[in-house]
Amino acid sequence: MKPFNPSLKSPALGGSADSKPLNYGIFRRVFAYTRPYRAKRNVLFVLVFLRTLQTTAVAWAMSAIINGPIAAGDVHAALWAVAALLLLMIFTEATVHFRQRLAWELGEAVVHDLRGAMFQKMLAMPLAFFTQTRLGRFISLFSSDAEAVRSGIQNVVFAALAQIGSMLTAAAVMLYADWQMFLVVLAIGPVVWLINRYFRVKLINAYRAIQESFSRVTTTVAESIKGIKIIQSYSRQELNAELFRELVYDHSTYNVVVARLEASFMPLLEVNSQFFLSALLLFGGARLLHHDMSLESFILFFFLSGHFFSPITGLAGQYQQALAAIAGAERLFQFLDRSPDSQDAPQAVAWAGPTGQVEFRKVSFSYKPDRPVLEDITFAATPGQTIALVGPTGGGKTTLTNLIAKFYLPNAGEILIDGRNILEIKQQSLRRHLGVVGQSNFLFTGTVMSNILVGKPGATEEEAREATSKINCLDLIEALPDGFQTAVTENGVGLSLGQRQIICLSRAMLADPKILILDEATSSVDAVTEERLQQALAQLLSHRTSFVIAHRLSTVRKADLVLVIEKGRIIERGNHRQLLRLGGVYARLYKEFKAAGEI
Amino acid sequence: MGTTNRHQPLKLMSSDPNNHERVDKKIFVRLLKLSWRYRFGCARAITLQLLLIVSTIAALTLMGLGIDCLRHFLEPETPPPRWPLGLQPPEGWGLLGILGLIALANIGIAGVRYCVSYGYSLAIVRLLQQGIVVDLRARIYEKLQQLSFRFFDSNTSGTLINRVTGDVQSVRLFIDGVIIQGTTILLSLLLYCVYMFALHVPLTLACLLTMPLMWAVAVYFTKKLKVAYRRDRDNFDKMIFDMAERVQGIQVVKGFAREEPELRLLQRDNRAVQDQKQVIFRLVSLFHPLIAMLTNTNIIILLAYGGYLVISGQFPLGTGLIVFHGLLWRFSNQVSTLAGILDNLQQSAAAAQRVFEILDAPVEIRSPPQALRLSKARGSVAFKNVSFEYLPGERVLDNIDFEVKPGEFIGILGTTASGKSTLLSLIPRFYDAKMGAVLLDGQDVRKYDLADLRRQIGLVFQESFLFSSTIAANISFGHPAAARAAIIRAAKIAAADEFIETLPQGYDSVIGEAGCDLSGGQRQRLALARAVLLEPPILLLDDPTAAVDAETEAEIFQGIAGAMQDRTTFMVTQRINVLRRADYVLVMHRGRIIQRGTPAELLKIKGYYRRVALLQWEEEDMPAAAGALATP
Repeated sequence: MKPFNPSLKSPALGGSADSKPLNYGIFRRVFAYTRPYRAKRNVLFVLVFLRTLQTTAVAWAMSAIINGPIAAGDVHAALWAVAALLLLMIFTEATVHFRQRLAWELGEAVVHDLRGAMFQKMLAMPLAFFTQTRLGRFISLFSSDAEAVRSGIQNVVFAALAQIGSMLTAAAVMLYADWQMFLVVLAIGPVVWLINRYFRVKLINAYRAIQESFSRVTTTVAESIKGIKIIQSYSRQELNAELFRELVYDHSTYNVVVARLEASFMPLLEVNSQFFLSALLLFGGARLLHHDMSLESFILFFFLSGHFFSPITGLAGQYQQALAAIAGAERLFQFLDRSPDSQDAPQAVAWAGPTGQVEFRKVSFSYKPDRPVLEDITFAATPGQTIALVGPTGGGKTTLTNLIAKFYLPNAGEILIDGRNILEIKQQSLRRHLGVVGQSNFLFTGTVMSNILVGKPGATEEEAREATSKINCLDLIEALPDGFQTAVTENGVGLSLGQRQIICLSRAMLADPKILILDEATSSVDAVTEERLQQALAQLLSHRTSFVIAHRLSTVRKADLVLVIEKGRIIERGNHRQLLRLGGVYARLYKEFKAAGEI
Repeated sequence: MGTTNRHQPLKLMSSDPNNHERVDKKIFVRLLKLSWRYRFGCARAITLQLLLIVSTIAALTLMGLGIDCLRHFLEPETPPPRWPLGLQPPEGWGLLGILGLIALANIGIAGVRYCVSYGYSLAIVRLLQQGIVVDLRARIYEKLQQLSFRFFDSNTSGTLINRVTGDVQSVRLFIDGVIIQGTTILLSLLLYCVYMFALHVPLTLACLLTMPLMWAVAVYFTKKLKVAYRRDRDNFDKMIFDMAERVQGIQVVKGFAREEPELRLLQRDNRAVQDQKQVIFRLVSLFHPLIAMLTNTNIIILLAYGGYLVISGQFPLGTGLIVFHGLLWRFSNQVSTLAGILDNLQQSAAAAQRVFEILDAPVEIRSPPQALRLSKARGSVAFKNVSFEYLPGERVLDNIDFEVKPGEFIGILGTTASGKSTLLSLIPRFYDAKMGAVLLDGQDVRKYDLADLRRQIGLVFQESFLFSSTIAANISFGHPAAARAAIIRAAKIAAADEFIETLPQGYDSVIGEAGCDLSGGQRQRLALARAVLLEPPILLLDDPTAAVDAETEAEIFQGIAGAMQDRTTFMVTQRINVLRRADYVLVMHRGRIIQRGTPAELLKIKGYYRRVALLQWEEEDMPAAAGALATP
């Protein structure tokens, strides 16, 4: 069992971008999302400004109290000073509270709006987008990418400003108190910065290696669980366990690499501050001797130097976070900038009072320019007819039905519905009179009832039951543990294939569309259920124009028109008997299967 | 194999990852036992942590000494520095000499701290990630590999994956987040306390006045936040789940013009996430400033009272006030993190329960003590009055009795959930019969060595699972050392060689990668090749064409025809035209064999077989199966 290949990326959405420099265009665009909350945002800026003064002020006040009243022995003044300090601290903590809270709320509000915009966009995207994009990409768009933007706003923008601010004010006070001593502080600054930079780069790569090896672990576990029957049938348990132990151990070695890096990096910063304190002691001591410096500024430096150094390491981390946020935002905007499913002509009208006549005139279509999927398709379906589509996989049957639903537009030719070009019919109004039953018999989490109700917004439960009874399946649904209220879990687990098909057929029946598109399921069910399904189907197909990608002989037989589609063209057309008599592809397919059935 | 097998007793109890309200005593004892195995590693880590704390205190004291020296020098009326532990520098050293010594000592301590903390980090990662985590993960995985199908029937793969990945890390948390961190914090609190008391008893008491309050605040918020975070996680998961479901069902959403109601639903989820986040923000943004304010109060008390002491000459400035300030600040920090340890304990206990559940799960099916070895079976199979149930009282197989001679082809037809798949599963002992016995070559299958038994049997399911590996590795899955020639021979038998050769890398193409997207029929033929590679005398085919269209069905049967040669074959299928070739057909309904005989006999008598045959041959102008023409 070789580990999986981590380089699987969706072509529809871009890959990683966390090694690019900061992109200010994207930054501005994210910032524009704070506009609805500008009051909050502006208060936040004020608070950040206050905060930068406060940290330094507290440190200064501490040293001032020790240097001033305490050193001078003035008890009364000391008490007053301490009381003032208490007020300053309360003020500081209140500022901290509001600064944090507002920054978090603002970040969440922006991400909420972004997610909302993405949900809207997602549902407006054409079907093709969904076939090209893995589900995992959607999930990471809404989780990790959006989260990166959130923490970018919450922790980077305002925190970085506060840190830079407090660094500057600390520098200013130190510079004012003793500029020569400050030069010593300044000299250590670049050292801290360089150390930081060196290790950050290494750490980022090491973290990535951990991620990759970890995803190898999880995929292996996932495969081992999904393939457990195969593993046990072939008695691979011991070999697999051994391979897995190696894999987990391998993963742990990456952890050791990171630990080694972190262990040499983090304490270095502390060593640095010890160096500074030692230098302060020696250098300051020497200058004190010559009375170039006062004990007061010595103690002031002792308290303030920390405020100058700690932002350096903080800022380096925030820069990385900013890169991740920008990369995340870039992917979000890439998605938001996609052109949506607006394929209505400007003069498009709502499709009212439809009868369900469908006509294709010399329609051609391709997903990619050089690979035609449908060519020169011409046929007409009068209201109420059943059209069966037959032919080998990849021939273009599904694409043809997608064109009727206006999921795609033809490249050439025209599709007429009730004599009107499909371009001029509003997509939403078209789909309101259209029903689609897919091959996968997709069910949403909820109940059987809620799944049937999907067919018609605002329908009552009574109408849903009626729809089920119209296809003669009331007894089958009622036989479920809780009847119509039976819970449907993820992917319809727990319901049999036949039951799922019946729910989907009821759903379509409730929608009562003028045009029905049905992709028959290929999976076999037992013969008795099959009979019921065929009857239900017959009910559903009557009185409406239906396009069926057929896998059942009974469906093909009853169809008014069978189109045999191969390599994007209609190669034979007619009803079942006419086509058999023709002795062409249809008849050959038929015989081939018959021969194969007799192994 | 079966589609509806749910077995309650084997369902893991604590599959709800949020269920960690209280810590079970037994779990706690067991965690302690587990930790005992790593006692030396823990002791080492704690010792190193203590060294770090001591050196912190030493560095702080040195700075205080430096300040006192300076002050005494500048203001000779202030008391001289108090040298600790009788470490007096020689008389006659000037101020610079003493300061230089202190600076040097400070750098020395920094160097020691660097080495110690480096050593600590490495020790801890070796102990945790390379020790406990590797060990637990490997043990769970190994266990999972041995558990019976019933176990996997009743637990979703998501929960199981979580146990190997996330839960193991949470169990690890018990060692570092509870034992090591807890001991270290308690010891350091003790040290700080002793030092502070040594400096000045009344001052210490005054400054520690707010500690109980701080502890209470920390515990209160930690508890509240835990609940809030859990709700947040649930909301977020629901939003992602709903979104994923809309993506998977996009055809339904679009086909029924459901965009608007679905968008409303997603926006509701979105709003719920935001609302719950606000609760967290309010809590956290109160929590941190509150703790900071309490710490500040201590410092204020220190400045007022301590300042007074310094003024009145009872307390030195550096080794007194400034050192005390450093100690107090660290002490307060530790108290507020102590609350987190309680949380760690709960989290790790909950995870431990889930991990132990797997490690304790009974291995139901294993080789008997004196197993019979079997190199190559002849291939006769017999069911002797076999009954089987997943749930007590719900018979899935009821008194099944039949015999098959080597090389025969047995067709099995039946209604949904009639026990067809279960019947096949009993032969390789994926489940064991409840009553009666399954015999292979005249011996009960339970007497054979399990691996030997399974090696006699080739299997193809409705939908075949292939591993993300090369085609060759997948075919040789049961015998990784197989020669390429053997692999190709197996592929040829299964009618798979032809399409494999057309792939860009042939047998070395990696499944799932670009250019190697296999169709359902191709996957099934690979599964067939995998099954025949070992030359098994018995072949079990569980409705191998159930999930494919008619055209693909023909492809697969082409392979099956080759694979069946000279093997005892059981095939579950709904296809009468295939069943017609069987030596013998069993018709099943609700766990019983309701009809049996040769296909010709069964066609003559009234019953299920004949009814299905007639349904499928309804079109008598062409006596082939239904759906023959249509393909997707």
